[in-house]
Amino acid sequence: MMTEEPKAGFQALVTDIEDVGKTYYRETLERNATLNKGAIAQAKSIKALPPLEGPKSKRAIIVSAGPSLHRYSLLDQLKTSDFDGSIICVDGSYIKCLKAGIVPDYMLCLDPHPTRIIRWFGDPNFEENSKHDDFFNRQDLDVDFRNNSIRENEKNIEMVNEMAPQTKLLLATVAPENVVARSIEAGFDTYYWNPLVDDPNDEGSMTRMLHGINRLPCMNTGGTVGTAAWVFAKTRLKVPSLAVIGMDLGYHGDTPYEMTQLWHELNLQIEKYEGEIEDFFMPVSFPLNDKPYYTDPTYFWYRRNLLQLMEQAGGITYNCSEGGTLVGPHVECIPFADYLTGR
Amino acid sequence: MSDFLKGNFSTQKKVTEDAPATEAEDLQARYKKNALASVGGSMVYVEKTALEWDGDDD
Repeated sequence: MMTEEPKAGFQALVTDIEDVGKTYYRETLERNATLNKGAIAQAKSIKALPPLEGPKSKRAIIVSAGPSLHRYSLLDQLKTSDFDGSIICVDGSYIKCLKAGIVPDYMLCLDPHPTRIIRWFGDPNFEENSKHDDFFNRQDLDVDFRNNSIRENEKNIEMVNEMAPQTKLLLATVAPENVVARSIEAGFDTYYWNPLVDDPNDEGSMTRMLHGINRLPCMNTGGTVGTAAWVFAKTRLKVPSLAVIGMDLGYHGDTPYEMTQLWHELNLQIEKYEGEIEDFFMPVSFPLNDKPYYTDPTYFWYRRNLLQLMEQAGGITYNCSEGGTLVGPHVECIPFADYLTGR
Repeated sequence: MSDFLKGNFSTQKKVTEDAPATEAEDLQARYKKNALASVGGSMVYVEKTALEWDGDDD
């Protein structure tokens, strides 16, 4: 539970994050969707996904990439269970699943970043794309990626090349060119979709522009790939029982504020938003075990978006992350073991 | 720049320079950009849009 209301400065910063999105991404989305047009024409639409049958149509687990995944050994639990439903991962958790001996049925990829996202697939230009970029060093989602070496990357390439044909890749049309090329090289069974990024009825709508380029269906993303995976499961797979793991949307309480991803920028912002640094971190107590977590404005924004989409869709999602900040009216937090044994 | 370039003509209309972005505005823009790029898989999201849209006539 949130233990207090967000301070005014925190709220203002969250609103600012939302406002910048359209301007920041417009050019990239249009360019990538146009560049990918040829590859998309050779692949399939998300509409062409074969319908699910048997146990896979009854239950599904979304494997997001939050730190609880390794903190609580959730993939080990999944691997040793008898779970026979669908497994949907995100790009950032795909290799982690493979390493745990789990082959996901589906993988979602959304982000248009030109040099980072390719890492999740094993990056053929690892050295060049790693230069001057500490993004993975600041990620708390997978320590393996934090210390990713050339040798580790090569092993990832081999593993992905071997396993890719067994997973359906749900690739956003706005993916960077190198990810599209890598998906073809690795042999994924790829299905394309557009991100729904605004109201198609608005003048100058980006969503309508993307749809005009390729005529593909559009899916809301909530701003992040984990939420896109949830929307996919809810709207396309329509699996009646849905659980999430690794969906932390925040930091563990023992993470020092100084280690959060935007600590430096937040410090520089304090004066403008008229608050103390502590005001920009919202404490949350996880209901299953009362352990402390907290969000910063970015994670708060992602969390709020997902809760809004859950409100729209209705129903219950089981949060089996065993930690984090995803708590709300349409979320039931239960131990992962309970879900695996038939909830 | 005006210290280095001196025109030898007068304009009919008064020319005004755009006010430079303040330090606070620069920081705000930097925060927002970093916020969006900080967590893997980021994308635009706008409130009150549908979960999916397949086009008007598809």
